[in-house]
Amino acid sequence: MVDGKTTTVSVDLSIPVQADLVVLARLTAATVAGRAGFGVEDIEDLRLAVEELCLSLVCSREDGRLHLTYECEDDSITVDCSYEAAGGESGTPGRDADDLSLRILDALVDEHGRDVRDGRPSAWLCKRRAAATA
Amino acid sequence: MTADEARTPVEDTKALFFELAANRDPAVRDRLVTAHLGLAHQLARRYANRGEPYEDLVQVASLAIVKSVDRFDPGRGVEFTTFATRTVIGELKRHFRDKGWAVRAPRRVQELYLELGKVTESLAQELGRSPTVGELAATTGASEEAVLEALEAGQGYRTSSIDATDRNEETLASHIGTEDASLDTVEDRELLAPALAQLAPREQLILQLRFSQGLTQSEIATRVGISQMHVSRLLAASLERLRKSVSASESRSPSDGEEHESNARSALGRR
Repeated sequence: MVDGKTTTVSVDLSIPVQADLVVLARLTAATVAGRAGFGVEDIEDLRLAVEELCLSLVCSREDGRLHLTYECEDDSITVDCSYEAAGGESGTPGRDADDLSLRILDALVDEHGRDVRDGRPSAWLCKRRAAATA
Repeated sequence: MTADEARTPVEDTKALFFELAANRDPAVRDRLVTAHLGLAHQLARRYANRGEPYEDLVQVASLAIVKSVDRFDPGRGVEFTTFATRTVIGELKRHFRDKGWAVRAPRRVQELYLELGKVTESLAQELGRSPTVGELAATTGASEEAVLEALEAGQGYRTSSIDATDRNEETLASHIGTEDASLDTVEDRELLAPALAQLAPREQLILQLRFSQGLTQSEIATRVGISQMHVSRLLAASLERLRKSVSASESRSPSDGEEHESNARSALGRR
């Protein structure tokens, strides 16, 4: 679903928790960022960060779904991800993301955070467009 | 995180960086590098199983730690681990890009991916920033969708053929240096060779597929024609035999079991 054609784009994606489907989360991030004119370096960072975001929520779970919302404004992209346990039950809040996940996200994006919304473990990140170096 | 790093609180690390900045003392530099090698291993492990040998990733990440220690400015108020993580990930990304972080992808996608690597570099120099997908598409003559597809394929989990040719008929291999990355493990190989030779050929093959080629247990099961559970059991038994054999042969020299396992894994080229 794509809303709006000018400065704000919002895309929703829902995928089963399956390793080989995380590609969809990455590809969607890349497509939204590419469409907004982000540089490939930023897009690479975003792709790795989205993967990390998903992994940090899924931990070792093997069922349920991930719901992702990508919001793109002029110079930033926000990705929000929440985990829904199988059968639509409230997901047990996951254990805290490990230090490494947090460090990786620190390194790749400008802001990120985690919380529990409607009983679902959630996490979000924001990547701003890099300024030109010359 | 290594035990060394655990013993190095943030304050101590900061103090050491100030000391390094003041004196450029090689011993302090060594201490800081050693204390943070655990981070290199953690990050290398995170990005393993994408077609590049784990040992190579550890080398790239470890060099990035050295670079980070040399470049870190403790006066800027950023934690070293944050700075170092950024540097290590950057180096790993570059490594994957150079080596073809790829893929079971159609040949046209592999070719475009190889071409994009070169075009991205030249455009970045020309523009003074990372090029956009639109600019890459315009330069290569491919559609934006194809560019995105190729970039994604470049982050696949299986390696491309190293001999895939780009549009100039150069192979990816021709862009790679000839340094033997396995030199560092020669000693470990020497140590393990007799123990490995005692294993059955199928067990040797399974160890090779798992630790040298990085195949998953399921992939090995398919390749060898046995169940994944069986592969798991054989791997565990083989590693145990190697561990015992190495421990026995080294019982004359002081060393611990963890180091033996590390040697074994190192010699096999994987974690």
